[in-house]
Amino acid sequence: MRNIKMRKSTFLLSSLSLLVAASVALPAVSAEKEIATVVKVTGENWFTRMGQGVEAFGAETDGVKARQVGPAKADAAQQVAIIQDLIAQGVDAITVVPMDPSALEGVFRRAMQRGIVITTHEADNVQNTMVDMEAFDNFEFGANFNQKLAECMGHQGQWTSFVGSLGSLTHVQWADGGAQYAEQYPEMELVSPKNESFNDANRAYEQAKEILRSYPDIKGFQGGSAIDVIGIGRAVEEAGLIGKVCVVGLGLPQDTGPYLESGAVQYISFWDPKDAGMVMNILTNMTLNGEEIKSGMDLGVPGYNDIQVTQGPGEGIIVRGQAWVDVDVSNYKDYPF
Amino acid sequence: MSSKFLDGQLGFLLLVNALVVIASLFLVGPRFVGLYNLQSMAIQLSELGLLAFGVMLAMSAGRGGIDLSGVALANLSGVIAFMLTPTFATATESPLLYCWVFAGFCLLTGLAGGLLNGALVGYAGLTPIIATLGTQMLFTGIAVGLTGGSALRLGFIEPLDDFANTSVLGIPISFGLFLAIAGVLALFLKYSSYGVRLYLLGSNDNAAKFSGIKVKRMYLITYTLAGLLASVAGVIIAARTSSVKWDYGSSYVMVAILIAVMAGVKPEGGFGRVICVLMSAIALQLMSSLFNFMAISNFFRDCAWGLLLLIFLFASKVNITDFLRLRPSPATK
Repeated sequence: MRNIKMRKSTFLLSSLSLLVAASVALPAVSAEKEIATVVKVTGENWFTRMGQGVEAFGAETDGVKARQVGPAKADAAQQVAIIQDLIAQGVDAITVVPMDPSALEGVFRRAMQRGIVITTHEADNVQNTMVDMEAFDNFEFGANFNQKLAECMGHQGQWTSFVGSLGSLTHVQWADGGAQYAEQYPEMELVSPKNESFNDANRAYEQAKEILRSYPDIKGFQGGSAIDVIGIGRAVEEAGLIGKVCVVGLGLPQDTGPYLESGAVQYISFWDPKDAGMVMNILTNMTLNGEEIKSGMDLGVPGYNDIQVTQGPGEGIIVRGQAWVDVDVSNYKDYPF
Repeated sequence: MSSKFLDGQLGFLLLVNALVVIASLFLVGPRFVGLYNLQSMAIQLSELGLLAFGVMLAMSAGRGGIDLSGVALANLSGVIAFMLTPTFATATESPLLYCWVFAGFCLLTGLAGGLLNGALVGYAGLTPIIATLGTQMLFTGIAVGLTGGSALRLGFIEPLDDFANTSVLGIPISFGLFLAIAGVLALFLKYSSYGVRLYLLGSNDNAAKFSGIKVKRMYLITYTLAGLLASVAGVIIAARTSSVKWDYGSSYVMVAILIAVMAGVKPEGGFGRVICVLMSAIALQLMSSLFNFMAISNFFRDCAWGLLLLIFLFASKVNITDFLRLRPSPATK
């Protein structure tokens, strides 16, 4: 008898703990419109910063509940599952930074069939989206790198470009955009372009060392992936060429900080995920309200004051801003990621 | 039903399912048990459930059995099928034929991968966790090599999309396939001589060997079955995402093991029931979707899974049916 009682209490205990686990948060019941932002992974600096933008949008927009969700691990399967549950839940709109755009086409199509607004970011090849938001035109972004590089080099001398890999479409576009910009200065000579770093700072370092050996007169490096400038900066530092060689490229302020301080890297550019999160939600809300999105509009967020609208690969449109941020040693500390 | 069917584990799992559904009615409302969400959950469940069956088979066979290569093999089978199918059929001209050929190549890849696992465990005598870790990396490596690391798009192929997303009589087709496989597997394990020998082997492989069971062949068959199940998951994944990629579902391995353990499959071998794995997978899916509905952080989910694992391991030591059927004393039987 005692034994049975004990078992009963054990069972009650375990069921209770389950209920407690399930009731950690109660859902808010309201007539507000609900926009869910789905990111690649939760807990990464980049997307934490994006969450701040989503929150800011929700706080300043009446009648809209905005929230950000994302898997604990960067896995396309978990992202699909989250979106599927959001559809079943009946949110009004979902805006997504796809882990893997092609894996989401099916679930996007079904969401739109159920009348849910779908928008995306960093996925200009997705067909089943209503609006895809890109922070900038990739060729212009590349040209911007080269403008900085050319100024630093005094518009003359040999330079080279790096890419994460030749398969990374955006990186190749940045390198091409840079090369196109440099053509206006006949004394700038592009040597051994598009070195592949495979998103590995060590690899970028090795490659940069080789290039410094083969082209002792080289004066400029344009990085592609976010860690290229780190590897190149280290090689420049070790060769004692600080001040003689210019390094610019995509980079994250916190990671690149030491090289900006030492002077091995002059400029890095990136786009601010906080603004991107905000603009994704603004565009989604406009689509929800049936407002037309046109070229030249001002969305009220820095870098998105004069947006360009083009037709996407599917039914939807692509919206581009000029939202890159140039950072040097004086202001990199303003960006905590 | 006989008392053998409703054992403690199954009773507990059924209760957990009921409890989660009741909790969801209070927390989220009737929307949670609406047809659309039930279908949505059923579709999500299939691929994970098939992988859990594979883990169950490997565990049941004993000798520290486990199959870590399931997800990798599922993705590899999709990739290989994607590469080979166009030589036999084109998606635009004969979509239906394309789908069948695609599925065929998936299964063949699963068969080959499963045979490799089985040979390594059975004939080379490797420890399953090491052998399947090795093949997991091998399968992943081949898939990355073949695709260069990027996703390959199948595009919109109507029969494949229908298979993944439409329902017949309210039951999603892919989930129906999953249920059918579960049914066949359950009957096969219960009534075939293979099933009987599998649990004997898992309970005591020495005794099994001396009683004339061909141990090596048993391992070969078991891991081949697991490989086949993984490749069916591969077909479902490809259909659901209309693409193939090497790293899809990389977080599934651990969840599949969790499902199996929650279902009372003994990690040391000799016991595992299909119906329990099914119920365990459903419980996990219900909770996962409930958390998403309530916008609970996905990190909490990982924590909850750990908690559940401990509760279930604890519960397996307690027989709940004893007090469920309360009074009918053993004497009346």
